[in-house]
Amino acid sequence: MTPELFITRHNELVDPFVQVWSWQIPVYLFLGGLVAGMMIITGFSLVKGRYGERSCICSALPGVGLVMLSLGMLALFLDLEHKWYVWRLYTTFQPSSPMSWGAWILVLVYPVLIASWLVRPPALLEDLSQTVERASAWLQARPQAVRAMGAASLGLGVALGIYTGILLSSLGARPLWSSGILGPLFLASGLSAAAAFTHMVARNEHERIEMARLDNVALTAELGILALLMLGLFSGSAPQMAAAGLFMGGAYTAPFWVFVVALGIVMPLIIQNLAVAHRIAHTPLAPLMVMTGSLALRFVFVQAGQMSHWAHGVLGVIRH
Amino acid sequence: MTTTTGDRRPQAYTNPYLAGIGLGLVLLSSFVLVGRGLGASGAFNSVIAWAVNAVAPAHARSNEFIAGYLGDGSASPLKSWLVFEVIGVFAGAMLSGLLAGRTKVMTEKGPRVSVRMRLAMAFAGGILMAFGAALARGCTSGQALTGGALLNLGSWVFMMMVFAGAYAVAYFVRWQWR
Amino acid sequence: MMAPFFKYGLFGDQTSLVVAFFIGIGFGFFLERAGLASARKLMAQFYLTDLAVFKVMFTSIITAMLGLTYLSWLGWLDLSLVYLVPTYLMPQVVGGLVLGAGFVTGGYCPGTSVAATATGRVDGLVSILGITFGMFVFAEAFPLVKGFYLSGAGEAMTIPKAFGLPYGLVVFAVVLMALGGFYGAGILEKKIAARSGE
Repeated sequence: MTPELFITRHNELVDPFVQVWSWQIPVYLFLGGLVAGMMIITGFSLVKGRYGERSCICSALPGVGLVMLSLGMLALFLDLEHKWYVWRLYTTFQPSSPMSWGAWILVLVYPVLIASWLVRPPALLEDLSQTVERASAWLQARPQAVRAMGAASLGLGVALGIYTGILLSSLGARPLWSSGILGPLFLASGLSAAAAFTHMVARNEHERIEMARLDNVALTAELGILALLMLGLFSGSAPQMAAAGLFMGGAYTAPFWVFVVALGIVMPLIIQNLAVAHRIAHTPLAPLMVMTGSLALRFVFVQAGQMSHWAHGVLGVIRH
Repeated sequence: MTTTTGDRRPQAYTNPYLAGIGLGLVLLSSFVLVGRGLGASGAFNSVIAWAVNAVAPAHARSNEFIAGYLGDGSASPLKSWLVFEVIGVFAGAMLSGLLAGRTKVMTEKGPRVSVRMRLAMAFAGGILMAFGAALARGCTSGQALTGGALLNLGSWVFMMMVFAGAYAVAYFVRWQWR
Repeated sequence: MMAPFFKYGLFGDQTSLVVAFFIGIGFGFFLERAGLASARKLMAQFYLTDLAVFKVMFTSIITAMLGLTYLSWLGWLDLSLVYLVPTYLMPQVVGGLVLGAGFVTGGYCPGTSVAATATGRVDGLVSILGITFGMFVFAEAFPLVKGFYLSGAGEAMTIPKAFGLPYGLVVFAVVLMALGGFYGAGILEKKIAARSGE
């Protein structure tokens, strides 16, 4: 291929270098992942039949999830160019469009969140409404239905978590994102953030320790997936290697290693291991670090991904 | 934040000579790796430069002291070596404190002073230190420790003056601790 | 391979920030290990009940100084590439006195206030706020103090260069001085302990 032809295709004016996503998309992806993790945890405790106790985390988590998801949707709405045509997302289903998938997954997520909240709603909500109390009594009398709903919550949570990563990897124009492993990565990160949040707010001592353990597993998995992602990129094409280079000496090296890996994963992992081993008390410190790290992961990946370009590493074009 | 759980007592501090050797090796590795020493007060300057620049960019540019920390404006003043080093100091001290069971939310003071008074003194001391560090172009870490190891003339003079100033004032603020 | 690695281009600006973070971890770790994240331990130095500050500081100075000297003699490190803060004698004399006064007033120096905050000390956090506020005031007042701030030669100046002494001799003298200081500190601590024990 002659350089002229090559330059015509991979020219940053033809294939523009654009930063179109600012804070809204990372925040949406973070909140989406957080809610996904909360659904998995809620689903698990429903399947296990823990809802008999008032202190069950399933009493609070779906409600928090509803609020978080709505905030995330608000962030996404703010990012839309044509805000008044948002309803059109629901007049069609485009299998090749991640936005379309997301819109429809969310249609399923809301009712499941509401239904799982009704199994053991907080006392305040029950006092407020007779209907809630009756619905809750009706559900509690049917363990089979509750278990099925728990399973649905688990499955949808996994789907939503993976979707938050696939949303990026379906955008093939960015080499950093062109890896299916982003799905599991964002799922693990969302689950770790949700476990951290639950660890922080759970009233039940047993559940709190369980959440710290789950968080440690999710964080370890996240580290492993990050390593795989890097290996994949480094054994890929030149632009993919250049994309990985954004984290290995490139423009996003410091935020990635310091805020995502060291402060967001490794430090809280050490602190929570000490807490689980009863060397120190359980405190909100590690959970807050995990959640900040999870948010930082989205910011770094969304920003760095937009900077990665198929022309990088080719023809000596490496910007950063 | 964190308190030690009931039966575990905080560990005793490491022998000062051993800790000093450890600190010296960290300082040496900083010289070897990046060609500069440790520091702390410079990170505060960067934070102030960033904040003033965010609120009033023109004003920040016109102030020579702040402009010195803004660079050419292509990168955020927070992306500075000392800012990241100080974030590391925070993480390292937290790690050490947690491992030794010494982390505890508390105010360090003597028995005869109220918490409010002690905090007021900490704030006042902070203001004085900022002036001292700004004038001297470094603090106990950036000047005394780093410059001390480099046999920097100004740093040794500074170090002697820090001890002189501290011993001179110590008598008048001893009520904070006794 | 020659040190300093960063100055020889072994890694870039971004990586140097990651290195800064890890060096900071080591710095904070050993500060806390030695007890210098506690105002009471720091202040004991100035009431002569516990000289840990002096011991830690001078042990690390001679460790790093000897390391630098040997590496430079072996030709593995170019000492001229290590950054020296320029010497402005008068501002540094006054700055040192003011910082020393602030140190005993507040209980922490800038670096130790960060380590103290990380281990939950509220006074450490307030000290950080004080430093930040003071730095802001200094920056705003800079036009008034600029003349004094810039008074002096303002060049990188080491003790061997200023007094025309061989580098090795000064290193040797500093080590001797520190060892003498450690010996004296031990005697002093014993005396004070005996007196307060009476």
